[in-house]
Amino acid sequence: MRTATLVLVAYGLLLVLGAVWRILPLGPLADAVPDLAAITAAYLGLSSRRGIAPAVTGGVIVGYLADLLIGAPPGLGALACGIITILGHLVQRRILVRGWAVTVGFCGFTGAVAALLVIALRAVHDQPLARPSTEIFHLIATAAATAAAGPLLLRLLRRIDATFARTHREREHALEGIS
Amino acid sequence: MTLRRRLLDWSLAGLLLVLPALILRSNVRSGEPSGFDRAVLRVSSPLQAAVSWVIEGLGGMWSRYVALIGVDDENRELRAENERLRKDLAAMKRRAFDVEAIEELVDLKKRTPADTVGARVIAASLTPFFRVVRIRIDRGDKEVAPGMPVITSAGLVGRVAAAYGNHADVMLIADAQSSVDVVVPRTGGRGVLTGLGATDSYRCKIQWLERPSEPNQQARVEVGDAVVTSGLGAAFPAGIPVGVVDKVASKDYGMFQEVEVKPAVDFSELRAVMVLVAPPPPADPAAGKPRHAEPAFAVRPL
Repeated sequence: MRTATLVLVAYGLLLVLGAVWRILPLGPLADAVPDLAAITAAYLGLSSRRGIAPAVTGGVIVGYLADLLIGAPPGLGALACGIITILGHLVQRRILVRGWAVTVGFCGFTGAVAALLVIALRAVHDQPLARPSTEIFHLIATAAATAAAGPLLLRLLRRIDATFARTHREREHALEGIS
Repeated sequence: MTLRRRLLDWSLAGLLLVLPALILRSNVRSGEPSGFDRAVLRVSSPLQAAVSWVIEGLGGMWSRYVALIGVDDENRELRAENERLRKDLAAMKRRAFDVEAIEELVDLKKRTPADTVGARVIAASLTPFFRVVRIRIDRGDKEVAPGMPVITSAGLVGRVAAAYGNHADVMLIADAQSSVDVVVPRTGGRGVLTGLGATDSYRCKIQWLERPSEPNQQARVEVGDAVVTSGLGAAFPAGIPVGVVDKVASKDYGMFQEVEVKPAVDFSELRAVMVLVAPPPPADPAAGKPRHAEPAFAVRPL
């Protein structure tokens, strides 16, 4: 239920972002779209308490829905988000995503990793790639946008997570970002 | 969590990763979304359209109502530009008015046989007791002297009262101290025009205009009669328009008529005038007669 709620909220945010981004007067920054699906997947991995499988399911579904929204080949974002969920789960006990700087850094890193994974998967599946400079610019822009918008999304996801906490301790941990 | 359960968990996670990989591979190979993708799209597309509709509505509200700050700035700039253009237009109108006055002056100069000096009015009279305008003359006070007539294309303005440097004061015919010998051409009646010194107008009156005898009613001055300079006294050349008769008060007694004259020149809009520096040259007595020159080189008759 918790994972489904997080996935649905992330999907709603993706819908809103897709609609808003189109009408915002961003000019050259229009390509710098925050990767909310990657952040959600990373959060699912970070906060997976009883096993990785439910979190990977959530991450894959978020990625899949994002693919359908943005018109990417279905499975591309899903696979990338699944991998990010696993990476998030692997670093769960090693890093503590708390504080402004660490949260921004984590979100930026997640955005960069997601962009890199998508480039790699496109290369593996013989999908068209832009010039290296363009791809690198897009990667940096995505990472920067994700670093900017990610902390807010993480804060929202933690709030939602806290409502599913069974004990007061779990609730406090969820709000403070302690898995 | 036991080792077995953990292995099962990771195996399930691995399988879950294989699923999108297979979907991706299938999509890339076929190039078209699968039936499952289509079904999900059929559900999600209306949702996406609804969200998009709401966001666009909000965005439209933003651009129509909230984002009017830019329009306010633009309006301010346009107002400033409008004000600047209005000032330019006023300056151009003033210049056009001046040019028109100068053109009239040039035309008058061509028509006037006497030696004239053009001048621009730089100050107007402020008191009804001294109807004087100050003019700037493009020639010095050596050429312009007190007493010289000042005219425009409409008629007589007055006479130079004082000249100093490149400036001169002109006493208007509406001044109470001014006196111009005038004649009413229709009746031939003569009189002396002086200013009334009225506070609200530049009206003048003709003094010493003789009242006609009873049988000679045609000599009676009427409203609308033109008044011109008579040329007597040599102060003003003859025939310069002075104004028109505006009011006639005839009494049964007395020798003179009481006539008020409205000047031909509108002194409130005086911009450029002309000073008659020297009278016109005398008429050529041999004008119109055939002239015979002495043969210079031909053989003279013996």
